[in-house]
Amino acid sequence: MSEVFKILVTGPFAAGKTSLIQSVSQTKVVSTDVATSGDESGVKSHTTVAMDFGTYQLDGDDTRLLLFGTPGQARFRFMTNILKGDVDVVTFVVDAEATDTHAAAGVELRALLRDLRVPAVIAVNRCDDEIVAQRLARSLGSLDGESVVPCQLIDPDSGREVVVEVLLTLLASMESTTAEVA
Amino acid sequence: MEMANDVVPAPPTPTETLVPSRPSTFTAPAALVTGPLAPPTATRALANVLDELIDDVAEARAALLVSVDGFSIARNTSTSDEPAHSAMLAAAVGLGHQLAAMGGGDTLRQLVIEHDAGLIVVWPIGTSRVLAVLTSAQVEQRRLRAFVIDNVRDLVGAV
Repeated sequence: MSEVFKILVTGPFAAGKTSLIQSVSQTKVVSTDVATSGDESGVKSHTTVAMDFGTYQLDGDDTRLLLFGTPGQARFRFMTNILKGDVDVVTFVVDAEATDTHAAAGVELRALLRDLRVPAVIAVNRCDDEIVAQRLARSLGSLDGESVVPCQLIDPDSGREVVVEVLLTLLASMESTTAEVA
Repeated sequence: MEMANDVVPAPPTPTETLVPSRPSTFTAPAALVTGPLAPPTATRALANVLDELIDDVAEARAALLVSVDGFSIARNTSTSDEPAHSAMLAAAVGLGHQLAAMGGGDTLRQLVIEHDAGLIVVWPIGTSRVLAVLTSAQVEQRRLRAFVIDNVRDLVGAV
């Protein structure tokens, strides 16, 4: 592989999208974090208002991932619409413990994938159990073959596991495309 | 989005964002707009300042004060509340700070969006608020900026 791929990192408010990009990016993350106010300040102190941007490059390989993170709140949905063009893989981050976000997350995930028609990696944050992660992903409407990764995104190693899954998903997608052409 | 530090004179102090420098002078209540940061009485007072801005600065059509995380705080009486507008302004300023850094600056002072029907002039107000004024292309930007500087203490709010 020797290409640049665009990865959309999206999901509900406070799911761990910014943490993922900050933990894996090899370049300084472009961040638009600001202090939260109102009810949201009770959930976390800062939130993304426009986008996060980071990059990841494989050692000894020209393959480069451009990671575009969206805000999570519905009022910033226009940013997702701006950022989702020409995406190669959607990485959908969901907080396993934030059960109140799961229903809306499922609706958003399916709508996004219906729209984009690209592979997805579902990163189930604050979860160590593969079976629990798979069950949650299915409840969100995850389809067979979509990658599901339990992770702890406060841990950079865990973030890298998500990136590895993104790379594997890209590889599988390219092989599938090549097979279709052949 | 245009980074426009040179469109109007820099503020009289070398501060990055507009910060208060004089005591509050307004009192009369105006339109009520709810927001997460300001109680109703403060919101009325803020709306009154924005009404005053529209009255005082020729060609200024609408003024909105929003939080940096995209919630409406106040607006002038004749402007309707569109939640997406608050979010867009917060996003624009969020990116504006990054673009300022790209340009070698430390601090975003002002954004100017110039479009076929006029201007949208946007200022960070302190660290937690954003002011946007929608104007025609003929607005006297020096006058507009002077009004904002004169009223920045009120716009920052002590809530």
